[in-house]
Amino acid sequence: MSLNIKQFAILTFVAAFSLSASIGAQAALKEPPVLAPLVESGKLPPMEERLPDNPLVVDFKDSDKSIGRYCCTLEMLMGKSKDIRMMTVYGYARLIGFDSNYQLKPDILEKFESEEGRIFTLHLRKGHKWSDGHPFTAEDFRYYWEDVAMNEDLSGSGPPQVLLSNGKPPKFEVIDDYTVRYTWEDPNPAFPLGLAGPSPAYIYKPAHYMKQFHMSYADPEKLQKIVEDGEYRNWGAVHTRLGRQYRPENPEMPSLQPWQNTTKGPSKRFEFTRNPYYHRVDPNGQQLPYIDEVVLLMGSSDLVATKSGSGETDLQARYLRFDDYTFLKQGEDEQGYKVLTWRAGVASQISLYPNLNVQDPVWRDLFQNVNFRRALSLGLNRHELNEQLFFGLAKVGGDTVLEESPLYKEEYATAWTENDFEQANKMLDELGLDKRGEDNVRLLPDGRPMEIIVESAGESLEQADALELIRYHWEELGIKTFTRVLQRDIHRRRFLTGETMMTISKGMNIGLATPDLNPEELAPVSPAQPNWPVWGQYTQTGGKAGEPPSLPSAKRLLELYLDWRKSTNNAEREAIWSEMLEIYSQEVFSIGIARGAIQPVVVNSKLRNLPETGIYSWSPSAFFGVYRPDTFWFAE
Amino acid sequence: MSNSPLPDKGKPIEHFVSTEPFDPLAVEKLTPAQEKYYFASQRQLMWWKFKKHKLALFSALFLLFCYLVIALAEFVAPYDLAHRHIGSIYAPPQGIHFFEDGKFVGPRVYQRVRTLDMDLQKRIYTDNKSKSYAINFFCDGDSYKFWGLFEARKHLYCVEEGGTFFLLGTDKLGRDMFSRIIYGARISITIGLIGIAVSFILGITIGGLAGYYGGWVDVIVQRIIEVLQSIPSIPLWMALAAILPVTWSPILVYFGITVILGLLDWTGLARAVRSKLLSLREEDYVLASQLMGAKPGRIITRHLIPGFMSHLIASATITIPAMILGETALSFLGLGLRPPVTSWGVLLNEAQNINVIVLYPWLILPVVPVILVILAFNFMGDGLRDAADPYE
Repeated sequence: MSLNIKQFAILTFVAAFSLSASIGAQAALKEPPVLAPLVESGKLPPMEERLPDNPLVVDFKDSDKSIGRYCCTLEMLMGKSKDIRMMTVYGYARLIGFDSNYQLKPDILEKFESEEGRIFTLHLRKGHKWSDGHPFTAEDFRYYWEDVAMNEDLSGSGPPQVLLSNGKPPKFEVIDDYTVRYTWEDPNPAFPLGLAGPSPAYIYKPAHYMKQFHMSYADPEKLQKIVEDGEYRNWGAVHTRLGRQYRPENPEMPSLQPWQNTTKGPSKRFEFTRNPYYHRVDPNGQQLPYIDEVVLLMGSSDLVATKSGSGETDLQARYLRFDDYTFLKQGEDEQGYKVLTWRAGVASQISLYPNLNVQDPVWRDLFQNVNFRRALSLGLNRHELNEQLFFGLAKVGGDTVLEESPLYKEEYATAWTENDFEQANKMLDELGLDKRGEDNVRLLPDGRPMEIIVESAGESLEQADALELIRYHWEELGIKTFTRVLQRDIHRRRFLTGETMMTISKGMNIGLATPDLNPEELAPVSPAQPNWPVWGQYTQTGGKAGEPPSLPSAKRLLELYLDWRKSTNNAEREAIWSEMLEIYSQEVFSIGIARGAIQPVVVNSKLRNLPETGIYSWSPSAFFGVYRPDTFWFAE
Repeated sequence: MSNSPLPDKGKPIEHFVSTEPFDPLAVEKLTPAQEKYYFASQRQLMWWKFKKHKLALFSALFLLFCYLVIALAEFVAPYDLAHRHIGSIYAPPQGIHFFEDGKFVGPRVYQRVRTLDMDLQKRIYTDNKSKSYAINFFCDGDSYKFWGLFEARKHLYCVEEGGTFFLLGTDKLGRDMFSRIIYGARISITIGLIGIAVSFILGITIGGLAGYYGGWVDVIVQRIIEVLQSIPSIPLWMALAAILPVTWSPILVYFGITVILGLLDWTGLARAVRSKLLSLREEDYVLASQLMGAKPGRIITRHLIPGFMSHLIASATITIPAMILGETALSFLGLGLRPPVTSWGVLLNEAQNINVIVLYPWLILPVVPVILVILAFNFMGDGLRDAADPYE
């Protein structure tokens, strides 16, 4: 996984095969049976014309895939309606994206060139079309940049972070119909990563479709009517709501993904049909995806394990946890599915985030004290947690990179993680918390008993189980622990306003980090970080809201992050990552517990091309995304 | 004509005079048994009648036993609530055996051997028949503070050093389920009593006031009851449970829940008390005692309350199981008690997951005591209601 900017500068990524030869060799491309009638009746052009001139040929040899057939519906179980975004994550059509070896490769783009780490030239595929058949061209990029990103009504806080380098926007140029260029004054290594992420930065929009909702293009009367009919706040809301790309809620919105939504929500069942203009082909030149239709069944996430066990899903990892493995495995033969044991790629399966910006001044001082955080970490018996939650199969350690990462050093994982109640108690005593009250609970300097309320978004039972044990462990330290389960949005608001003392959640997504990946999670950069939301808000809004970090270590992390944003070579980035990991582990900004746990993946035994083992992680692999679900197919 | 019962004309009628003293009750002569019955006090009558209802009697004894057990919970439970056996997570219930090689050896358990099934990723427990441990009675185990008063270590039973004995298996943290059920009972079956006390005090006072005074007091009470009864109970529970702060100590939360249950429950009872009072007030015997010059206080306590005593008892014995179920339901939904408080509802809340039903079915066992206790209360209530009306 090396995305070296120098290499970028010299190398231009060209699709591995030139298609004209292979197409020429084949007599005629076989239409998917569901599209054949449309092609015959002339409603749809034949496959050859639908594909771009130079489609992306997916490498089957490298990842040991087999040639499939067009057929079938793939059903997946989901939780709340927001989960519709998983289709964009799994679909994983990106301008540039990671391949199965975590190398960045052009995907929707034909070529991606970079000079000096600050000038990026994007070459589109000639003849590439949106799912409604309209050409995908530089106009779509221009529309986004000029009419969306620079429009105050639509982007109040300016262009997204990845389009800023050192806080400054790029110079955008349209070279020709198929080429655009972004030029920054300073290097911007976050830009290519932002395009490749599981939740990517969309720097293009289907201009031909979106213009009807845009003040500068649409007929004002018509637009006003849309606003009134839909009871929107203003035209900006219409444009945003109907133009969502990451969450494909609008079935009319053209897409570049392998499957496009055809269901208008709210619904319990979202049907995604094949995109007839998709740009990837198999080695035989047949257009992907193989699977005709993907159906998302929305329901209670609590029931996913039960339903999976009775064979109601074709591909499921979301909402399945390690605990369910035995139950799922027992039903394997009867229900016609297989349970694969993937590994979780998250830095820690469960992490505790003390809120350094909590409102309560006494607690804030404590949480900002490194020795307090260390004592809390030492006061966890991770082996017991591992034994109880993960059958002893995960690896105990802090919230840091996994062994699979080239940046891994043992000291990161083991810093302050060895259970030692005596040492922890001593450290707490030294902090002036030596007074004890009722039930032997320590007293805060102002005389209140030490009671930590740990809040969670209630998304995983694993966390509830862990908290039950953590309560016992911290009781040994004289600290009482309570739990409160909240809705995700409410929880987010609460920690930002400082009402939340501590959050239990998944660890960071840096498990498989390489120097080229963005180290943003290690620094206060976003208000969505439960350990320092206010500092993160300050960074994100460029100082308009929030407060600047006050701890020297957090300041240093932010500085290093900004250095990374300016970095131009690998060695520099590696040094930055190492220092950040070192500081983060030593300072215990989040308390990790165990990692590398088994992630059960339930898969229909007829489904092909999904590897037996894999790493299930949000970033960089976009869950199933890098394993290319468009190549999955059902055997007869 | 000699066989005519009458004497001949002109002759006087033969006269017989008994010299024995006159006994006016001679016609209905009571046997000693009857006498005992007719002259028995009301309480005695109730007891006799109750005794005849065998099911009710057994239920009462069972409940008595339950309350005795929870009074001695620390002693009866072999392990402390917080005692976690890391090596015995999700261990199934262990069997006891009395004979080894055909000889009686007293109650013993075999050594448990844990193996990990890596394919299913399941902990498998097997008995090692060559090694066993004795189960001792009145022995030393985990230390506890009896009733919060003094340290003690005695337990009803425990296993010989080195062995484990989980009568009803263990949960996900390796805690003994039997001990947890015993400790859980302490909360679950007393919550009914406290709740019922709250609801009785409120119900009888408010209902009594409404019934006795009538008029505007009655009207106001009736409207309040109507409003309270029209509030959907589950959302109200949710709201009230959300108000209880998370940092409250378990005891306070427990008390809060009982008061919530009690506060919601008194309306039905108050109505019943009121209507009974209203109707009994019009009875002839009340009028009679009024004419005889009895004061209202005497009329109420001597004549009215015994009149609806049976009703009170019936509703109390039906309400207690409803309270127990209420607590169980609230906790099951995650609205009521929360761990570390252990109640049957909390235990069942932990068991609501497909894995438990398929793989660790012994975790659903707290259902059994819930059913038993509720049945016992219902049978006992049945017997008590019959007994409370001995003259019927």
